[in-house]
Amino acid sequence: MIVKPSGIRLEGVGKRFRGGVDAVRDLDLAVAPGEFIVLVGPSGCGKSTVLRMIAGLEEVTSGRILLGDTDVTQELPQRRDVAMVFQSYALYPRMTVRKNMAFGLRMRGTPRTERDRRVAEVARTLGLDHLLERRPAALSGGQRQRVAMGRAIVREPRVFLMDEPLSNLDAKLRVTVRAQLTQLHQRLGVTTVYVTHDQIEAMTLGQRVAVLRDGRLQQFDTPRALFRAPVNLFVAAFIGSPAMNFVPAQIAGGEVRFAGHAIALPLGSPLAGADRRVILGVRPTAFAPAGVGWAQLAVTPAVVEELGDERYVLFDLDAPRVDTDATRAAVSTRTGDDALLLPDETRARFTARLPADLALPASGPLTVSMDPSRLHFFDPDTGAALPGGPESPAAGGP
Amino acid sequence: MMRRIRAWGPGLVLILPSLIALAIFVYGFLGWNLRVSVSSWRGLAPAHDFVGLANYTALWDDLRFTRFDVPNIALFTVVFVAGALALGFALAALLDRGLPGEQVFRSIYLFPMAISFIATAIIWRWLLDNGEGESTTGINKLFADAGLAWHSDWFKSGSRWAIAAIALPAGWSLSGYVMSLFLAGMRGVPEDLREAARVDGANAPRVFWHVVRPMLLPVLMSAVVILAHISLKTFDLFYAMDQKNIKIDTPALYMWFTTFDGGFYARGAAIAALLLLGVATVIVPYIWYSVRAERR
Amino acid sequence: MTARGDRRIRSRWAPYALTARYLALFTLACFFLMPVYALLVTALKSPVEVSVVRMWQWPHALSLDNFRIVWPKLRDGFGNSVMMALPASVISSLLGAANGFVLAKWRFPGADFVFALILFGMFIPYQAVLIPMFQTMSYTGLRGGLAGLVLVHVIYGLPITTLIFRSYFAGVSEELIEAAKVDGAGMLASFAFIALPIAPPAFAVSMIWQFTSAWNDFLFGVLLTTKDRWPITVALNNIAGSQAVPFNEAMASALLACLPTLLVYILLGRFFLRGLMAGALKG
Repeated sequence: MIVKPSGIRLEGVGKRFRGGVDAVRDLDLAVAPGEFIVLVGPSGCGKSTVLRMIAGLEEVTSGRILLGDTDVTQELPQRRDVAMVFQSYALYPRMTVRKNMAFGLRMRGTPRTERDRRVAEVARTLGLDHLLERRPAALSGGQRQRVAMGRAIVREPRVFLMDEPLSNLDAKLRVTVRAQLTQLHQRLGVTTVYVTHDQIEAMTLGQRVAVLRDGRLQQFDTPRALFRAPVNLFVAAFIGSPAMNFVPAQIAGGEVRFAGHAIALPLGSPLAGADRRVILGVRPTAFAPAGVGWAQLAVTPAVVEELGDERYVLFDLDAPRVDTDATRAAVSTRTGDDALLLPDETRARFTARLPADLALPASGPLTVSMDPSRLHFFDPDTGAALPGGPESPAAGGP
Repeated sequence: MMRRIRAWGPGLVLILPSLIALAIFVYGFLGWNLRVSVSSWRGLAPAHDFVGLANYTALWDDLRFTRFDVPNIALFTVVFVAGALALGFALAALLDRGLPGEQVFRSIYLFPMAISFIATAIIWRWLLDNGEGESTTGINKLFADAGLAWHSDWFKSGSRWAIAAIALPAGWSLSGYVMSLFLAGMRGVPEDLREAARVDGANAPRVFWHVVRPMLLPVLMSAVVILAHISLKTFDLFYAMDQKNIKIDTPALYMWFTTFDGGFYARGAAIAALLLLGVATVIVPYIWYSVRAERR
Repeated sequence: MTARGDRRIRSRWAPYALTARYLALFTLACFFLMPVYALLVTALKSPVEVSVVRMWQWPHALSLDNFRIVWPKLRDGFGNSVMMALPASVISSLLGAANGFVLAKWRFPGADFVFALILFGMFIPYQAVLIPMFQTMSYTGLRGGLAGLVLVHVIYGLPITTLIFRSYFAGVSEELIEAAKVDGAGMLASFAFIALPIAPPAFAVSMIWQFTSAWNDFLFGVLLTTKDRWPITVALNNIAGSQAVPFNEAMASALLACLPTLLVYILLGRFFLRGLMAGALKG
């Protein structure tokens, strides 16, 4: 299949809904031709609105949208050469699979023979040959999902837009299809914008991932960079599972002090000479069993979650929980939803990922070690990442 | 702006014929009727003069209108709305929890709705006949045969309550509709909610009172508004029942006779305008509320 | 109602309560069926046996003579009503489908306000438009024949058909229409290829509702038609609308006049009910 992918450029795009809600604010985003990017963020962050503005389903309040070199800001969706896969698949219920797939070509006046040829070709690729005469109601969830993909592919559009296309599949199928989506993109090479609220999906699918919050772009980078060098507290809390641990801390005398512990900063850290309050962030994977030569920490496990070949040890620190808008927004599915079962637990809780074969003491403290080179520091007031954390792979790289 | 016209334009064009037709036949005609009501049109040739509210003040002094029509329609509306609501609600409450044969009962209560008011009136006129002694017939006869000495002197007697008897055929026709409304409302209460209340220790009446009843308020409002507006504008039921009987005269009937039999167009238009005012006071808030509630 | 409901643990009074409910339902059913009983037994008695005083008595022998007497008088009205109600219901349903689609799925600013204005037409007392209607129809020469009657039934039916289709299309997923837009379909194509194919249930509801109200209408019929074009309700009222008419003939005529709508109700009751519900808006 020969397609000429085109890039997408959003310049200062804003969307204000009636009633004055700003869904998207001053968004600049450039997608290279053939690139697969993911828009991710919690519900209400504006990611779907961005996608729908690219499709033309939502009017743009300010700014411009370009597909390739064409300014399509004022163009109706039916005149933009984009194809979209919807969360509900939106298959036309009274049409067979064949007619569903051919509909877009029919609307664009493609001759019948050409339509049939392309539908047959795509149906073969996606294994839909034997389903062509069925109605959507007679298909399974996975088959419907494939038809929705097929309907987009047949169009050979300049751009694919996907709005949470996997969220209606069951968990196992989702993982399989996710991998196949990547393969499909490698084969077709069409510029793709993919929207999801699931950061794992975002990380696994996107060549680059744009993290949005409250209509603002937080960070647009490769998955690896997002994980290694989040630019602020929100991205740090949102990306990664289990989530990054946070605790208020004080930097003084070349060490970081929190909850009665003190850890020496790595040599040459830009923060070595500082004397200030910070929020310390530690990934669960930065922990190891005691005795590997890192900083040692004696903790009392509160909950141990067994996962087979590894286990998560949850422990409380003698410090208040970091509870900012940014961290709340990152953990809850709806912005600001306070879904804690035990809200009276106000201490900072850490999760450490440890090997499953590590012997745990029946009671009393457990000593774990922490990699001092993988500590993240954030400004407690602005939430911005402070220099002194792990370097971005693009800048320094391992 | 161009994008907006291209996006909305075709839709507007598609519904334009309907909008124009309704603009003329509803709003144009209503306005026209108002215009006629402030003229002195009487007889065949329309008059285009302006007499102010003369026709309305004349109605105020018109005994047929003030002593019969208005009290009649008020009485009828109260009896009919209250009766149909009570009966419809009772039917819904009896059927709510489901029982074998429900479908049959529901159909029996609902079918009168499919019958025209003319046919309804013709049937019921005979049932409500108030002949006495040897010529006792209709419902009275039925009750007499059943050993119940229950004689009605509502209908065609001198009683002021004659019009209330018409609520019987009207209620017969429409209480099945009220039942359907209430039933839909009751069934719309999620089963989870009822079960949660049961688990919390409420018995059936208390489940109804605390869980179901609050959710029926919108249904009650719909039913009242629909019944009341039907009551105000109904013409054919009374007309076929007994058209020249002052005891069951209503503004809707008066309007018809004075306009098309008597040629008092201006007076007819004034009565119609007052009817519109009466209906609008219930309907406009209702539509406003419905469209707003839906948007939320 | 549900399988779950049937297996609910019941109190020991439940059997008595159920009996009481049946008793109440049965008594009320008798009230609703009483007129039908009188109607049927009277219409089926032979004319000689009929007496108003004996209206509740079972006929000695069934006879169709009453129908033979009244049918010739009703035949024209019956035909007129068929010729009027069918086109009226089809045309106003088609227009209602277009309006409903636009107001639900191809919305323009102020669509809700326009919808409210349309809805109001459903509730107006028709007395308030009779005089202008009479003048307009006389002036345009549409008064007297069926065409004018069809026209007013179509127009005054638009609010309810629009409401029925708007509610129906409002239940259709927004993404379906968006998918059509992205696929390149404009307004007409979305309506024709996506909305109409899924609309048959709404058409059934709308056509049944419109057919029933046009068939049962009296006011417009008596205002706008002359004797040879009378719809069935006007004809019925003129045959059976006075006490001077034999009781048996009145009942037989009423029964004949009700038959089509009753048949529709019996055969398509489910859709009939949905039309009723639509009439109550969604308050």
